[in-house]
Amino acid sequence: MLELDRVTPAFARLVSADAPLDRIYHGLSFGEGPLWNRRDGTFLWVDIVGDTIHRWKPGVGAEVFIRPSNKANGLTFDKEGRLCVAGWASRSVWRVEPDGSVTTLASHYQGKRINSPNDIVVRSDGSIYFTDSPGALYNVGMAAEDLQQYLDFQGVFRISPDGARLDAVIADTVYPNGLAFTPDESVLYVNDTRLGEIRAYDMRPDGSCGPKRLFHKLAGSEPGIADGMKVDREGNVYCTGPGGIHVIGSDGELLGRIRIPDHCTNMAWGDPDWRSLYITTYSSVFRTRVNVPGVPVW
Amino acid sequence: MLFSAITEGRILRYEPASGNVTEFRKHTNRTNGLAFAPEGALYGCQESSRRVIHFADDGSSATTAFLLDGRYHNQPNNLAIDLQGRIWFSDPWSELRASGPQIFAALEHASVLRLELDSFRKLWSIRRMTYDTVAPRAVALSPDDSTLYVAETDNSPFGRRELRAYPILPDNTLGPHTVLHTFGRDYRGEHRGIEGMCTDSEGNIVACAGWRKSGPGPLVCVFSPGGAIIESHRVPFDQPVNCAFGDADLGSLYVTTAGGELYRVRNCGRQGRVLPTAKSSRSAQ
Repeated sequence: MLELDRVTPAFARLVSADAPLDRIYHGLSFGEGPLWNRRDGTFLWVDIVGDTIHRWKPGVGAEVFIRPSNKANGLTFDKEGRLCVAGWASRSVWRVEPDGSVTTLASHYQGKRINSPNDIVVRSDGSIYFTDSPGALYNVGMAAEDLQQYLDFQGVFRISPDGARLDAVIADTVYPNGLAFTPDESVLYVNDTRLGEIRAYDMRPDGSCGPKRLFHKLAGSEPGIADGMKVDREGNVYCTGPGGIHVIGSDGELLGRIRIPDHCTNMAWGDPDWRSLYITTYSSVFRTRVNVPGVPVW
Repeated sequence: MLFSAITEGRILRYEPASGNVTEFRKHTNRTNGLAFAPEGALYGCQESSRRVIHFADDGSSATTAFLLDGRYHNQPNNLAIDLQGRIWFSDPWSELRASGPQIFAALEHASVLRLELDSFRKLWSIRRMTYDTVAPRAVALSPDDSTLYVAETDNSPFGRRELRAYPILPDNTLGPHTVLHTFGRDYRGEHRGIEGMCTDSEGNIVACAGWRKSGPGPLVCVFSPGGAIIESHRVPFDQPVNCAFGDADLGSLYVTTAGGELYRVRNCGRQGRVLPTAKSSRSAQ
């Protein structure tokens, strides 16, 4: 059973209180990076502090997929199904090739080492967008090898589809964290942990971002911050925040909250119908069901 | 002369010849105390990240050990490095939030800790040195590394504020401490204890203490190794924070203030300690 805070009647259509909340894994130091693999029906996630990428198959169980992971954070797939990793402590974006080798996709911008990639998403043209907060340089227990911040901004980068260019598409965020496109990819949502808000950036034809618009300001006194964020096929935004997951309509209004009994860090759509929501917390992975499917991952 | 602009997250560099101040490092995440190791490596107490870090010559930085018996220690404040390169640092609790998710609780004690490098394995480890402190702040070593000076500084009402001398014993522990000085209080409140200190070439302790709101005011004091106050100067700014000898002859005393200023007393009549070896061509990747 889910504990829900209904703010508007529309929320009931999206999430039902009789949906299960199953804990499918526990014992993590810092869960993050949830990702459903539609190709083999498995679910991946990371333990940043535990330096591991885990894999779980429904009905089978969990195993260590990659360890050490250089404190991997956000995960996604590119259009060829290769795992793309926001490399938190490696201070790079890296990709796992079919033969298991690793390719670095981004590590420097204008000759300077980037901060610490936090979360990552692939657009339909094959370009990769990632947030570059400085957490691995400062956070207790998540340290990179080189702790010096070289860039004077914490923004969002785009890797061009051919991998040749790295562009800073957003430079006005303080601690950019979760990011997700609208279903039609016309808008990029980016949340900012420090500011406690979600911003909307209109996408330009060349893949750059227009000026920021404040989309939603997170509210609530419970523990929880703007961290992971995903969008469903109707354009509703699911974002971690105080108390659990905040569900926000495409107009920016809070519809309701799904309360999570641990500090929630991120979530991912999954299962063949993309109607399951896999949720990572500090210590655990939960799974619940929602009524509107999410935007699929490649 | 390097000095920390703590809340700005910067280390600044004052050049005596030109009088220019330039930015030495930025994005230091509230790095407070700074010290050079005997061979010239620079270390700092990165309070917000709860660790002592090494600022390499190439502009990168790397952490030393941050776990004491498997636990993350508190927020290191000040440090002193002995002739063997061991880093003694105060590890007080802080009211300020450290960076990142609050998943690692503070230690149940606030002590002076010591970092030691296993040079063969290139691994740092941490050892707890004091077992009787609750608010360690300034730390300094006698020139022969036989005595550790610790300022216990809790400026809250009825907090303990004293300058202590701990003998460093051959078995690498500390003997019982002698209290060299205690700070009082009056109708206006607590006299501010020592925030930063260093030793001169003769082994005297130069300390920054006091504030305008009570007692004799903001002071730079010199204590003999036995605790006698041999000099005491009221300074024309509030809350001196830390001090170090500098300039070519090490005959000037530099003092930082809570207001973010850097003062210098030329020909102060005392001299700083010369590092045993000049800054080497320490390679950094």
